[in-house]
Amino acid sequence: MQKEPQKTLPFFGVPKVLPYVKPYRWKIVFMVFLGILSSLIDSIYPLFNQHIINHNLAEHTSDTLWIITVAYILVLAFQVWNNYYSAYMCSRMELWMNRDLRNAAFNHLQTLTFDYFNRNSVGYIHARVMSDSGRIGELVSWRLMDFVWSGSYVVCVVAVMLVTNLRLALMVLCLVPIAMVIVTFFRRKLIAQNRRIRELNSTISGDFNEGITGVRAIKTLAVEERMNGDFQKDTHEMKRESVRAARTSTLIGTGVSFLSSAALALVLWQGGQLTMESILQLGTLSVFMSYAMSIMDPLQNCINVLTAMTTIQVNIERFTRLMETESSVVDRKDVVEKYGDTFHPKRENWEELGGRVEFRDVTFQYPDGDEPVLEHFSLTVEKGSSVAIVGETGAGKSTLVNLVCRFYEPTQGQVLIDDRDARERSQLWLHSHIGYVLQTPHLFSGSVRENLQYGRPDATDEEIWHALDLVSAGDVVRRMEKGLDSDVGEGGSMLSSGERQLLSFARAILADPRILVLDEATSSVDTVTEKAIQKAIQTVTEGRTSFMIAHRLSTVVDADTILAVKDGKIVEQGSHRELMDRHGYYWDLFTRQYVDMAVDMAMHGEE
Amino acid sequence: MARKNTNELYSTHTSLLMRLLHGSKRYFLLGILFAWLTSLLDLVNPRIISFTVDSVIGTAVPSLPHIFESLVNKLGGVDALRLHIGYIAILVILIAVISGLMRYTFRMMNAKGQEVMLQSTRDLLYGHILSLPLTWHNKNHTGDIIQRCTSDVDVIRSFLAEQLTALIRMAVQILLSLYFMIGISPAMTGMVALFIPVIVLFSYFFHVRIEASFQKVDEMEGQLSAVAQENLTGVRVVRAFGRESYERARFEKKNDEYTGLWDYLMKLLSLFWATGDAISGLQTLLILIVGANFCLSGRITVGGYIAFLSYSAMLNGPVRQLGRVISGMSRAGVSIDRIRYILNSAPEHETEEATDADMSGDIVFDHVTFRYEKPEKEDGDEKAADDVPVLDDVSMVLRAGQVTGILGSTGSGKSTLMYLLCRLYDLPEGQGEIRIGERRLPSIPRDCVRKQVGIVLQEPYLFSKTLGENIAITRKDASQTEIERAARTAVLDETITRFSKGYETFVGERGVTLSGGQKQRTAIAQTLIRKTPIMILDDSLSAVDAQTDARIRAELNREEGHATRILISHRINSLMHADHIIVLDKGKVVEEGTHDELYALNGLYRKICDLQSPEGVQA
Repeated sequence: MQKEPQKTLPFFGVPKVLPYVKPYRWKIVFMVFLGILSSLIDSIYPLFNQHIINHNLAEHTSDTLWIITVAYILVLAFQVWNNYYSAYMCSRMELWMNRDLRNAAFNHLQTLTFDYFNRNSVGYIHARVMSDSGRIGELVSWRLMDFVWSGSYVVCVVAVMLVTNLRLALMVLCLVPIAMVIVTFFRRKLIAQNRRIRELNSTISGDFNEGITGVRAIKTLAVEERMNGDFQKDTHEMKRESVRAARTSTLIGTGVSFLSSAALALVLWQGGQLTMESILQLGTLSVFMSYAMSIMDPLQNCINVLTAMTTIQVNIERFTRLMETESSVVDRKDVVEKYGDTFHPKRENWEELGGRVEFRDVTFQYPDGDEPVLEHFSLTVEKGSSVAIVGETGAGKSTLVNLVCRFYEPTQGQVLIDDRDARERSQLWLHSHIGYVLQTPHLFSGSVRENLQYGRPDATDEEIWHALDLVSAGDVVRRMEKGLDSDVGEGGSMLSSGERQLLSFARAILADPRILVLDEATSSVDTVTEKAIQKAIQTVTEGRTSFMIAHRLSTVVDADTILAVKDGKIVEQGSHRELMDRHGYYWDLFTRQYVDMAVDMAMHGEE
Repeated sequence: MARKNTNELYSTHTSLLMRLLHGSKRYFLLGILFAWLTSLLDLVNPRIISFTVDSVIGTAVPSLPHIFESLVNKLGGVDALRLHIGYIAILVILIAVISGLMRYTFRMMNAKGQEVMLQSTRDLLYGHILSLPLTWHNKNHTGDIIQRCTSDVDVIRSFLAEQLTALIRMAVQILLSLYFMIGISPAMTGMVALFIPVIVLFSYFFHVRIEASFQKVDEMEGQLSAVAQENLTGVRVVRAFGRESYERARFEKKNDEYTGLWDYLMKLLSLFWATGDAISGLQTLLILIVGANFCLSGRITVGGYIAFLSYSAMLNGPVRQLGRVISGMSRAGVSIDRIRYILNSAPEHETEEATDADMSGDIVFDHVTFRYEKPEKEDGDEKAADDVPVLDDVSMVLRAGQVTGILGSTGSGKSTLMYLLCRLYDLPEGQGEIRIGERRLPSIPRDCVRKQVGIVLQEPYLFSKTLGENIAITRKDASQTEIERAARTAVLDETITRFSKGYETFVGERGVTLSGGQKQRTAIAQTLIRKTPIMILDDSLSAVDAQTDARIRAELNREEGHATRILISHRINSLMHADHIIVLDKGKVVEEGTHDELYALNGLYRKICDLQSPEGVQA
């Protein structure tokens, strides 16, 4: 959603991650130490071999074999312990880092304002919390370990080779830069190809989605052939790119094993000669051969880690960008001091809220908008009165509501709550006194009780039932198998959309807010539920200052003030009568909706 | 879900796999063949080394397979090799080049097989899904189908391209290694062979447990992810109720649980790795010591000793993997069943040969009764109440070349009538029939019907393409003039020219969200460009204002005067000029006639008229 950043962070962005690593720094140091030790031991193993061939076999004696056995078992025991311990520790490091980063991202999100959520899709933000953290955690654990182990293994082996036979060692080392060039070159290519594959993958998922959700349109338009053709183009492209990427990674693998063989050939040729001239012992030759062959893989690992850094850098940058996004609505210092912050409220200092709301000469422009949507707008909403906001989908009806809730702050002018500037009290204070019923009623997975207690955690069962009955949802819940303990499913999926709406009304009533914000649903529900909802709206708005983004004519007609919004701006304002007499935009909207209702009224009868 | 049924196209797992492997089998088989050749060549190297150590550097009498012996003799015998040990190096390089080519071919064949398989599987699924009847789509959830087409396909890919081929490959690799090892020392090979079942079984049992643990972690990840998802989609509720602290605690708790499960899993894995290391370490030690003793007692040569060590090292990897591969294979069965469910569902089938049909006759609904199959997806207009039919003995005639208006409330069955006309659903036997001209509708192939009936759906669906492409979706050959003409008739051209990219504007692109009315008008243009003899507007003007509504109808009369037009609406103003108006209520035709006739009838139509008249609105 958001544009990828132009600036790149220095040192692959690693410094940005350091604060999260700090609590575990000693553990990581120890881990690195164990990694080095492990590679050291791994590079020692062939020496047992060498000793047996050079000493026992060459001199035909089994005198030291038992020492070898004991030593081998000791080394093995230590190595097994070390491998277990460092693998487990490494995993935990990854897990802990992941957990911490996820928590940090999630908690930071709780403090951000809506312009962030409007700018970025849920999927995008979700990925920042769930997957970026994973990649970063992997970096400081497995990738680091891989690098340490492989790096130090290469160093150890090279050192042993150099000490054993300088000339032979140098010859083998000549092959190293070739391997590095090959691997680096192809890895780069591979990363770009993999990115392309990921893109195609989401295209194909999107195609499936379109084919399934749009099946009615596809069938009625009879465009199956065209859709199939377009889809096959995408899968064909996917095949081509995937095979291409497979070729690149195969070339790396083949190249590296070829170089291993080349190293072997080199040692066999030069070393064989030296051995024949008795300069080199047979056991040493054998060790050299194993070293020559085993050095290439760790070398490849090191380069893999380095190239992977460039992709992980992207994750770090995205994560950092999230963490550095500042909330555009921030409570003043003195306000925080008195009222507390989001996570540490000082409820003892909170005043009651009456419910008088006043817009005083408010000008407002969305942070990403080109022009102000409100200009010098003034409106007083008395305690307990209601405002209905009407207009077409996408006309910008939620602007006023966003300002009342202080999800945004006016560019100029003031919003006053109980005659005091909203900025003089904390956001949490305000939110604790506002009830919000959403257009798509959002329930959290869990029981009915948990959902209703969302607005008031200490509500008793009695109060909950009372609230449910007030909105005629009591029977719905009573019919459910476990009553208040019934599971509502993910996002409330076990309930119908009408039932979800009723529950969210009950939730708002329980919270007993002074100000109520209601975003009415447009989706059609059956007549019984429709009636229940209408009644619920009346119940819930009674005695409360309410702002309603309204679609139901009954809701609109009864409101004290109606605001008609078109293209983001308020074009008409007044009571239903006044606006109908004006024969303007509101009249047009109203009659258009009325015809639908008229048909239903005539056919289903009105009682 | 996957019942054994002889009518099913793919009655067994194997039959489905064979279908999916269509076209990719040869790549996989070639891949396996080249894999075997690669392992064979890999096994030659230690042999060369042992020969070099024993007979070139040492003095043992060479015992080589026949081809190599003649090769050595051609080069001038062992003595020549001693002078030119470089020959051996060249041989090693030569083998490396050949084995490199083999390895490359093997991997590429496997990759190609995998991708060809994926491509044909995806194409097969997509095409099949499009051909499935609407009743099937109503029964199945989108998310679930997509998951089957992505995750389950991937599980099958990994089964075929990674597990199954690896199993065949590794079995041969192990056998070959053992064969070469027997050549050096049967006794020591026996010792190594004893370890194989131990390691495989150990690895298998571990992985069964790991797999179970993985499932738990997966589930937990789903839960954690859902908490984050819910928090983000419900951000307004969270803020409005001031429950940030609660959300934080909730997330952290799940996060801890998730981390804890991973912790256990990783402990298990670390233990597995370490134990594996210990077992293979002991195996190596055994060979090291026994081999040294054999060497000392002269049962094997030094070169053989070195070669044997390499072979046993080579054996290690595949043996350990074997357990994992076997334990992972159980997953595939479930996924295959899930794919079979889709592919075994019967597509809309044609009863007759595809022929062209004249669709310009009168449309006759003759005693039509229809009810939807029970498990219904929520779908606005057509929510079926228990056993009440959506259409109840409906008979009517829609005259060719005329405009018929249909008035009805939500749930009166008017959309269903049109779906039946498009053959989205078919009438069961004995529930009446629909005729166009003299032909019974079921005798006209679906494709033919749909190509000639242009319907603008109540809820328009736009494709993720440009606006221009959307309008011309049915006609790739449409010229820009035709597209613009359709847009003009649908009163959409002014809107489009306001977008900076005009007809090239991508639907759903950031910043360009079409309003309900704009979507409806795009769908109208989409249908207009088809020039079909029958045209249906199913409540397609509900989101546009009265003037635009009138303008569109006027344009339609001008452009489509010859077509049979059906206009469904709530708005008397939209319907009153129709040649014939039908009032539908609760699945029954209650009134029909012209506007004047119906008005004079003083019934339901009149009542709606009055309610919608300016005086009625004011009331």
